[in-house]
Amino acid sequence: MDYVVFAQQLTNGLVNGMTYVLIATGLTLVFGVLHIINFAHGEFYMLGAFFTYFAAKLLGLDYISAAVVATLGVAVLGIFANRLFFWPLRKEHEFTVLLSSLGLALLLTNGGELIFGADPKYVPSPFADSVFEVGQLIVTQQRVLIFVVGALVLFGLNLFIRHSRMGKMMRATAQNPEGAALSGVNIRQVYTVTFVLACGLAALAGALVGPTAMIFPTVGSWAVLKGFIVVILGGLGSIPGALIGGLTLGVVESLAGGYISLGFAQAIGYAIIIVVLLWRPQGLFGTARRT
Amino acid sequence: MSRKITIPVILLAALALPFMTANTYFHHLMVLWMLFSLLALSLNVIIGYIGELSFGHAAFFGIGAYTAAILGMHFGLAGIPGILLAAIVAGLFGFVIGYVSLRIVGPQFAILTLGFGSIIYTITNYWVDLTRGPMGISNIQPLGLWGGDGIALTSAIGYYYVILGCVVAFAYACHALMSSRTGRAFIATRENAPLAASLGIDVFRMKLLGFVVATAVAGVGGALYAHYLTVVTPDVMSMQYVAALIIMVIVGGRGTISGPIIGALIYVALLEALRALGPLRLVIFAALLTASVIFLPGGIVSLWRRITGADTPHQEGAQ
Amino acid sequence: MMKRKYLMAAAAAVLLGTAFGAQAQDKEPVRIGTIAPLSGPGAFDGQLAVEGMEAMVEIVNENGGILDGRMIELVKYDDKGNPEEGVSAAKRAIEQDDVDAIVGGWFSSVALTMKEVTRDRIINVMTSTQHPNTTKEGHKYLFRLNATSVMMSETYAKFICDKMDIETIAFITINDDYGRLEVENYERLLDECGIEVLGNEFYNKDDTDFTTALTKLKALDSDAIYVSAINTAQGATIYRQIKQSGYKGTTIASAGNMNPKLVELSGPALEGVYSVSLFAPDSDSEKLKAWMEQYGEMFSNEPSFIGSLGAQAVELLAGAMDEAGSARDYDKIAEALRGHEWETILGTINFDEIGQAMQNIYLVQVKDGEITSVNE
Repeated sequence: MDYVVFAQQLTNGLVNGMTYVLIATGLTLVFGVLHIINFAHGEFYMLGAFFTYFAAKLLGLDYISAAVVATLGVAVLGIFANRLFFWPLRKEHEFTVLLSSLGLALLLTNGGELIFGADPKYVPSPFADSVFEVGQLIVTQQRVLIFVVGALVLFGLNLFIRHSRMGKMMRATAQNPEGAALSGVNIRQVYTVTFVLACGLAALAGALVGPTAMIFPTVGSWAVLKGFIVVILGGLGSIPGALIGGLTLGVVESLAGGYISLGFAQAIGYAIIIVVLLWRPQGLFGTARRT
Repeated sequence: MSRKITIPVILLAALALPFMTANTYFHHLMVLWMLFSLLALSLNVIIGYIGELSFGHAAFFGIGAYTAAILGMHFGLAGIPGILLAAIVAGLFGFVIGYVSLRIVGPQFAILTLGFGSIIYTITNYWVDLTRGPMGISNIQPLGLWGGDGIALTSAIGYYYVILGCVVAFAYACHALMSSRTGRAFIATRENAPLAASLGIDVFRMKLLGFVVATAVAGVGGALYAHYLTVVTPDVMSMQYVAALIIMVIVGGRGTISGPIIGALIYVALLEALRALGPLRLVIFAALLTASVIFLPGGIVSLWRRITGADTPHQEGAQ
Repeated sequence: MMKRKYLMAAAAAVLLGTAFGAQAQDKEPVRIGTIAPLSGPGAFDGQLAVEGMEAMVEIVNENGGILDGRMIELVKYDDKGNPEEGVSAAKRAIEQDDVDAIVGGWFSSVALTMKEVTRDRIINVMTSTQHPNTTKEGHKYLFRLNATSVMMSETYAKFICDKMDIETIAFITINDDYGRLEVENYERLLDECGIEVLGNEFYNKDDTDFTTALTKLKALDSDAIYVSAINTAQGATIYRQIKQSGYKGTTIASAGNMNPKLVELSGPALEGVYSVSLFAPDSDSEKLKAWMEQYGEMFSNEPSFIGSLGAQAVELLAGAMDEAGSARDYDKIAEALRGHEWETILGTINFDEIGQAMQNIYLVQVKDGEITSVNE
């Protein structure tokens, strides 16, 4: 076995995995805290990438500032998305909420096509083509950035949820919404903060991953599917689960693609999830939940 | 209004529908409506009766379509045996996948079906010797009785009546099932599985039965689709169809029989009607879709119930 | 049975917004239905195609239209790249909107289904589909403009063998009908001239990251990597990622996909890369120049190969209808198209008996960010 190639594939997998982690963390929050399957999550990823592109192009910002502006902008959009599409339906059946999010996803994709244009775009980043070389291992700086920022953001988010007052309210809501409301948790505020965080995280992922590929309005559809898989694999609502689940999926896909078959890499990823779920239905880090 | 009057009236209207116009474009839309009605009704068994979400339904639709296409290509089977085999093959896949997955509930079940669906899609896309892979199978024979020298169905009207027959038969079967003891067991299972189990209902068997029926009917729908369009590519298994079917079932009203049929009508008719809007088409469609969810969370059928105050036995608890 | 939809015609005429002579306004327009992916993943290609057609329609109309002063009017339909939507659109075009001809077939699955709707009923010009069955199972009114994959590969393989100094090659190939046919051709053709094929990796049409595949291919250490990509976004990503992977060999771009957008998006990664195309933007054909100028006036995108195919479809239909003296006598129009060579914006072409066009194939190279033709 060629160890350089192996190490390279492992690195590719870890970086792709961190992308999945960033996407999945927002989903798992919404899922875990509010029990909502948000199909529109991938569209916020798409918006993050497009906002970065337009912030750089129209406002003349450098890549880092553009990414920050885009993340904040999409986070604010999260407030509106929640108020219009999720909060009014909080007492409805989960399938109804799911359909609402599906509608929002269609709205954002097709609206995006109309407003941004259907042509693919490239988010310029000074790190995209610069390369880090460690021995024979080659990684672009952008990919290193994805990994480092991803790790930092996750660490920060974990602190926030564990130690802040809001984080505690979110955890209380996750465990028992009625009980939390009775004990004085402002559910409405929890909804808002959860969506702001989730949309911001998705947008950050879009802003970071944007420069590694081309962006186009339908780019969010794969993101949401990958996100779901990671969320379920790691365990609903579990942030460490999203981390391990995302990295695992990234590495599995990369190694399966590298050593078995590229075309089947995704399918192999799915097969592993099926095996994990049959063995532990609650996911790697999930707690068993009676339904 | 009594059901004894409304049902025959609706049936007669459905039979007379193609004669309202000689325009085969409208006939085509009617075929699509019936086809999606059949598929939506089958998915409704999973969403509405079992109470689980399936992201893999398009895969069974695709299995049916490919079974019919491959049988036709290699054995010249293009008739009823082909359709039955499509149902059996899709149902067998449904049995195996359901057997493995149905012990798991909620979002995890949805992801399991997504996983299985995706694996089936990938295999279809790469097993070129069997499925011709991404090139798809074209020139599929039109539907006949036995294929080969039998009568071949070439007009859209013909397909409309054949699929209408399937829809009516399946809708009746659903109705009969849900009115029976087994049907009540279904509802009990959906509403409160542990309680149902304690009452002596074999929850798993109920769910598996429903899942196999749903997938087999999706297979029939796929086979009819293949014969009608004469082309099948792996795209029939894509998420686009999964999303479309979920929309039809929930917009129409899950757990009802008229709901998925109305949902299919709205899906087909609205998208065609909005063609005139050009680039705004899908944006308006999405806006109407979300508006309908927010203002009519129980689906279009709930509007009817709101107006008349009527209710039917197995629609209880659908909201 | 068939009703004319004057309303839509009027709306389209307003959109076109040009003042024609009084005589022209009196006559009913010739209506060409175009069925293309205008939403979803293929939306950009569809948009380029339709823009190409619109520019050509404008040129024809400015020159007085066809059939003694009838204007051409384009009726657009979105097929979402989906076969049954394609059928809906084609049936609507024929039955409801009563168009005179149909141009479509950007995606193979749509083309294969659509041809059954148009079979022996209406002139149907298929554009970019490369699936062999489009014409093999075609009908007497069906014509396909794009070169088949075999024709393209033969020209390209000859150049790769003769002019490029390589001994080994590896492929990264889209797993669809286009990619599968392409790689099959090259494995045979390149083997014949002694270039060793070291490997091939298929990727899926929804993939956005290619590092895994490229790591594998780079390890093969071949002299060249052939990139089979028809989707502009995927193509640009692959070219960039090849560069980022540190691969030092030659990159070869797949046949038929070299367009200005791809060059713009790929940046330095595409500099010096070769491709073959039916469309050479720097050609000195007057017709092509006129079309490109018109296109530039009307749209912000750059004229592309896929747009030029759409334009050629309009051009040929206009010419053949004029020659047949009718927009509806399909036997005569088909006979005219098959009858002789045609001077078009892409050069001289003719059709064989199953309606396949024999086009000129140009070798192009990206130089200083411009697509330029290579003269051997």
